[in-house]
Amino acid sequence: MSTTETDLQIQLHQPNKRAGAFSTVVRTYQERLYWHIRKMVLSHDDANDVLQNTFMKAWNGLDGFRGESQISTWLYRIATNETLTFLANKRMRDSNSIDDVEDILLQNLKADTYFNGDEIQLKLQQAILTLPEKQRLVFNMKYFDDITYEEMENILGTSVGALKASYHHAVKKIEKFFSENE
Amino acid sequence: MKTNKNISLDEIGKELPFSVPENYFEQFASQMDKQIGYTPTVKHEIFRPWMYMVAAVFVGVMVVTPVFYTDSNQNNTTKSSDNYESYVLSQVDETVLMDYYVNDEATK
Repeated sequence: MSTTETDLQIQLHQPNKRAGAFSTVVRTYQERLYWHIRKMVLSHDDANDVLQNTFMKAWNGLDGFRGESQISTWLYRIATNETLTFLANKRMRDSNSIDDVEDILLQNLKADTYFNGDEIQLKLQQAILTLPEKQRLVFNMKYFDDITYEEMENILGTSVGALKASYHHAVKKIEKFFSENE
Repeated sequence: MKTNKNISLDEIGKELPFSVPENYFEQFASQMDKQIGYTPTVKHEIFRPWMYMVAAVFVGVMVVTPVFYTDSNQNNTTKSSDNYESYVLSQVDETVLMDYYVNDEATK
């Protein structure tokens, strides 16, 4: 554990230094967490909302964080839970809609000002949306961020073996999607 | 007609096709500071590093100048007193000079 990480963890539990340390935590991890969330919810506005919820949950739950894991792992866990909760709520809200959540996410993505991909990149996002949520998480974390399986195990609570199998299946499904949708 | 060429993941690359509004992360961090009631201590950097350097050079010049000034002044004074003495001696007649020394000896 680096000195900065240790210092931050200590300061996060000192009442007079807590807010300053948390501000540093936000500045250090906001981008990584934002992209982690954005890849799942796709639209910028939704990612912004989930990121805010993530940090507020972390701030309110500081007393429960006793340094059993690294700050980044702890934050990734909260961000993942918040993202899955957001998607579940969206699914509930849109349960009467003819389109399923994945279709709505894709439509939102196409309309999003902050999506600047070409046709192939849009197709990849479409392919990723065909995966079950947990598999989508695993694929995004491995493919785009190259997070190690061990780190993913700490964040998602799934064994390394299961994560490897999940990623392998995800890649196969995406390639199949491409071959069927040319 | 369908082509047989399949798109592979390698061809697409790993670059994310998303962007964020300008200064988004800066603004997000400030917004979070407000939400947790944190006021960052802003360092008012009125003086930039180059200003300190200019000030140091200025002080250096102020300190060193009088030393040179005094030194050269002293040299000038010495030179001018030497010149004055030679000038006076050149203007004085030898007999007058003798009288001066004799009278001076006599008064002692």
